[in-house]
Amino acid sequence: MSVASRESWNTSLFVAEALRLEMARDENVLMLGEDVGRNGGVFGSSRGLLDEFGAMRVRDTPISEMAFTGMGVGLCMSGFRPVVEIMFVDFIGVCLEQVYNAMAKIPYMSGGQVRMPMVIKTAGGCIGSAAQHSQCLWGLFAHLPGMVVVAPSSPYDHRGLMAMAVESDDPVIYIEHKALLLKRWRQFHDAEPVPEERFTIPFGQAKVAREGGDLTVVTLSAGVEYALEAADTLAKEGSDVEIIDLRTVVPLDMPTVLNSLSKTGRLLVVDEDYLSFGLSGEIVARAVEALGPSGLRQVARHAVPDVPVPAALSLEHAVVPGPASIVEAVRKMAAAS
Amino acid sequence: MENERSLARFERLAQMRHFDEACLAGVMSREIHGELHIGIGQEAIGAGMAEALRPGDAVVSTHRNHFHALAKGVSPKALLAEIYEKETGLCRGRGGHMHPFDLSTNFSATGIVGASLPVALGYAYGFKLRGQDHVAVGVTGDGGVLTGGFHESLNMAGAWDLPLVVLVENNRWAISVDINEVSATETLAERSHSYGAWGRKIDGTDPDLVAKAFAEAVDHARSGQGPAVLEATCHRFHGHFEGDHDTYRDREEKRRIRKEHDPLVLYRAKLIEAGLADAQTLDRIEQTSKEAMTALLEEVRDDTQPDASGALDHRFVGATSP
Repeated sequence: MSVASRESWNTSLFVAEALRLEMARDENVLMLGEDVGRNGGVFGSSRGLLDEFGAMRVRDTPISEMAFTGMGVGLCMSGFRPVVEIMFVDFIGVCLEQVYNAMAKIPYMSGGQVRMPMVIKTAGGCIGSAAQHSQCLWGLFAHLPGMVVVAPSSPYDHRGLMAMAVESDDPVIYIEHKALLLKRWRQFHDAEPVPEERFTIPFGQAKVAREGGDLTVVTLSAGVEYALEAADTLAKEGSDVEIIDLRTVVPLDMPTVLNSLSKTGRLLVVDEDYLSFGLSGEIVARAVEALGPSGLRQVARHAVPDVPVPAALSLEHAVVPGPASIVEAVRKMAAAS
Repeated sequence: MENERSLARFERLAQMRHFDEACLAGVMSREIHGELHIGIGQEAIGAGMAEALRPGDAVVSTHRNHFHALAKGVSPKALLAEIYEKETGLCRGRGGHMHPFDLSTNFSATGIVGASLPVALGYAYGFKLRGQDHVAVGVTGDGGVLTGGFHESLNMAGAWDLPLVVLVENNRWAISVDINEVSATETLAERSHSYGAWGRKIDGTDPDLVAKAFAEAVDHARSGQGPAVLEATCHRFHGHFEGDHDTYRDREEKRRIRKEHDPLVLYRAKLIEAGLADAQTLDRIEQTSKEAMTALLEEVRDDTQPDASGALDHRFVGATSP
């Protein structure tokens, strides 16, 4: 594959590449889900796998999430490493039982005897699909104990974190953002070359996506791209923001966040998930626990304000964080400081 | 030969009865806290399962799982210790009686009704993928048959000819809901036709009938012909859990069930009548089983509970803290 063509790949193809490398190196890796085989995934992130690995290892399932998620649990207990695709994270409602009562709890309930090397690969995020196909829900999974929760931002991270997810002996929820899956490598703000050979990125290591001294924006997934765009606008106004890409919600890399806060003293959490009882509150709480009640000069949260995602673009813009709303949030903080 | 086999089945019935009596003792003494679901009255199903199962086969059971675990060969000591919340238990006291896991025998259970079947389906898929001739047994009750997971799992097993045996312990009651009032079909076994599966309904209070039908179901699945559904009727002598007032069943009816449908009493009479055993032999088997269980219980009672310092162990395998 030439370098030029890789530049035109969308992120989905890098995810497919990650899965292909994992399946080739370990015959216990297999994939289950709706449209993952013949169709190569509705976003193309398992394209080519059926031809290479056959129908037993790339299994198109009926619309039976409860049973095929539970299958993943049984497969783990017999020594496989299943990647189960829940097409949209919003569908988790019909199989959450197997996710949080079985997959996430069995390692603990078995007294450490049973390992659950399962990956739930699922697409979240807003691309105009309204209330039932736009949620992120990483806060939900992070609240329930026992799961690693990954939400990658760049093509490079999608590759390395998927490899890590499959290699990990812990259960992993791998939440892709639909807008990122469809975005081409060369369209990314800071596109970093993605090697063809296999590599992994460890869990719990946030990345400083942009260095800056005035304010710390903590975000993840598509929020990183939005924040980078916002930072360009803000830089022209003399505001220099630092952007932390969390990469994983569980484990949560607070040392990297705190290190940035020690420099800026100002925290803005940008989260495309719901505002209340979620990631943004958790980051603030942990920062306050670590730094003390007066350890920060400013704190703000910018997330979906506890409302279903509306259909109309005008309404979606009003409630879902994007580059423009992040600029506004930072300006508001600057004005109040 | 028949004589030996019958005595072995009687012995299993007795061991299972005494095992759950040993559990009941822990409820009375409050050594076991939380709810306990015992299977007294349903022993013939567990006793009938044991012979057809091979070490590589998998069993995924329910909240009422003790007999299935014993049938699969799980260590009675480790199982009882887990139920008694001991560090020496199967899961070091982290699972408890509803969540025993034993990788060495491919046995596990879930406390969520119906959720056993998708997990058993996963085992079945893995066996087929590896070309192994093992079977996966998913146990559920009459209540679990009415969950979506039953339909989804049997459909996939049927579509792909997977070696899945669904064993339905039909004790009629989903806590207080009578299966006859909530099932659209007269029998649960007849649902097997929708999935191209083998299906049969039997009297699950006779270990001979269970052993024969279960072996057929397992052979069917093992030979690559796809899934099987075996519905075994039985009677739950106690409430849904210890502490259930069980007022939804008539007192007289409960008395009649215990009197007329006790698998131990019925099998004893059957063996004596057929001339396969005499009363003294059966008495001796029961006595030996009871004494062994008493000794086991004493041993378990001496074990310690897990140290509180380990409450956060086993959350993750990797170097991960939430």
